[in-house]
Amino acid sequence: MSAQVVIKGPERTEVVKAWNDQIDVQVKVAGSGPALVYLHPAAGLYWDQFLDKLAETHTVYAPEMPGTSFGDPYAIHKVDTFLDLVLIYEEVLRKLGLKRPVAIGQSFGGMLMCDLAAHFPDIFSKIIPLDPAGLWRDDVPVLTNQLYLDKPENLPGYLFLDPSIPAAQAMFTPPADPEMRVKHIAHAVWSLGCVAKFIWPFPDQGLAKRIHRISVPALIIWGKQDKLIPVAYAEEFQKRIANSRVEIIDQSGHIPQMEQLDKTLALVKAFIAS
Amino acid sequence: MKVLAFEQLAYRHFASDYASKYDSVTTMPYHALVDRKLMHQDHMHFLDEMMHAARSGFDGVATTEHEQASYDILPNPNLQMSALAYATQSEGLNVGLACVGRSLAKTREPLRIAAEYAVLDQISAGRLVAGFPIGLSYDVNRNNGIPPIETRARFYENLELIKKAWRSEEVFAWNGKYNKYAEVNVWPRPFQDKPPVWAPAIGNPVTLGGIIDNDDNFLYLSWFGPKLTGKRVFDRYWDMAEERGKDRNPYRLSFVQAVFVGETDAEAHREYGPYIEQGYRTGLGAIPMQSMGLPGYVDIKGLEFIIRDPGDFGIVPKMRTIDYKELVDNQCAIVGGPETVAQQLIEIVKNFRIGHLVIMVHIGPMPHELVMKNIDMLSKHILPKLKGIWEDENWENRWWPSGAR
Repeated sequence: MSAQVVIKGPERTEVVKAWNDQIDVQVKVAGSGPALVYLHPAAGLYWDQFLDKLAETHTVYAPEMPGTSFGDPYAIHKVDTFLDLVLIYEEVLRKLGLKRPVAIGQSFGGMLMCDLAAHFPDIFSKIIPLDPAGLWRDDVPVLTNQLYLDKPENLPGYLFLDPSIPAAQAMFTPPADPEMRVKHIAHAVWSLGCVAKFIWPFPDQGLAKRIHRISVPALIIWGKQDKLIPVAYAEEFQKRIANSRVEIIDQSGHIPQMEQLDKTLALVKAFIAS
Repeated sequence: MKVLAFEQLAYRHFASDYASKYDSVTTMPYHALVDRKLMHQDHMHFLDEMMHAARSGFDGVATTEHEQASYDILPNPNLQMSALAYATQSEGLNVGLACVGRSLAKTREPLRIAAEYAVLDQISAGRLVAGFPIGLSYDVNRNNGIPPIETRARFYENLELIKKAWRSEEVFAWNGKYNKYAEVNVWPRPFQDKPPVWAPAIGNPVTLGGIIDNDDNFLYLSWFGPKLTGKRVFDRYWDMAEERGKDRNPYRLSFVQAVFVGETDAEAHREYGPYIEQGYRTGLGAIPMQSMGLPGYVDIKGLEFIIRDPGDFGIVPKMRTIDYKELVDNQCAIVGGPETVAQQLIEIVKNFRIGHLVIMVHIGPMPHELVMKNIDMLSKHILPKLKGIWEDENWENRWWPSGAR
């Protein structure tokens, strides 16, 4: 089934020394044109067709969170707090020489991107949170802790309205080679563990107090049938970010850029061009 | 060698279909499941049974710590241990008090544990075994909100802080990653110069390495079926100890084993069997596997090890519906008449070089009278056959409290 999904993937890796040279942050890069930063979700960086498409018109920079890069798992132990992480990302983007790029952040990546934009109001020119984490309402629980507690086979149900679509199947198919399969699964679990340092037991690091500092235009995109972070949060983000609007994508779960690629891409491109 | 009696404080009155409806951790509804008088009764029976063991010739008694659990309702085992410390001291029973909880990865008050253990050691005039487990993932991460990837680092910092708080002559400042105290000066200090430290673990090589390097005692819990896991884990432990320059002193090693003794094999299986089966199903069996190792709890090397070869978990994955026969065949519980039990225990102790045998004398719904009988049968028929083991090898037991017999 995975044969139906053709992904070009990143063209190169830039390694940025950060945090007083203690951490080698790997940044996957593809394409040419204006810089665009993509911040990945809790499962680590998965390069999908959305990023391929963006790379046709932009230079896509996708940093991997310390600990989630293949072969360098213990970098996470150098990052103690969420503030450390925010500062490390700022350092990486600065050292890459990016001048106020557009940023897109998915889920945990959206939470991190919003906090970067709150800490450093001029770091991005525009931001596009895709079903971001970061806020909390008691009456609408975010189910990230349930995702972590559930059986691996139930994971797709948190992320997709229809887990049978080829893009989802491709994402969840481990390599056929037995040894690579072991490494792949261990790496996937470890990546979730690395990000859990900042979203366990809740993805709430106080963004609600800082989000008002975001001054750049924001396009908030949400899958209407998002089970993990319900669509009610779209309004919570919108009302806290002054220059923002919301687009709800129907027939989509938590990852609209995979489940409704064309619609999401069209919205993103129009917003960037505006 | 030393033989201890051990129990978990299970609620003993769940319906037989409990495991098909509820987990045994975190989510089971208290008020729908519990009768307050029976819960009180279980608390009293627990203490009565431990005292009975102390009076019957066991060298020590042992407890563990689990929060938000229905199979071991000991959110702070030091409370029970305090009652046992006073009662045994009053009666002149100088048994060891092995508190093989408290979880150091989950605690946000390590100095409170240092102080509580010191109090126990004072009341008992130096009979404390200080147990410092990392803690199970469901308890550390799920119940207590500790990010799984911080589990081990918190454990090691807290252990170092407690040990320093016990031995330091001076008031000291602790500026750690997880604890910041300007003036550490725990009162009281332990009665013993250095209470022995036991580290309960399930055989993860990373954990074992830390235990060996600290020169602490490794306590292995056998619920996974020692027939399946014992040789793997114990061989690994002794090989690692040798690699790290330690001797083969059997007192480095403690082992928890459920044991139930009847007059004959047939009577033992008939009397204890149904309770054992339900105990495993509703206790360990009803902990969701995912909650035993949330992402980040197990090091990535450990993950690769487990994915390649899940053998360390023995029969855990099917424990929720396990049959009695399989439990006995795998020695999750050793059940039988005195001869059968003694023969199996002696074989395990000698083969694996176990210096402290921690016998689980109760499980799940087993009623008070039957537990008392088991303790009687063990003390009359089994303890005399175990006690002399290792004496001919003249090892020094540096992991036994100086105030205990």
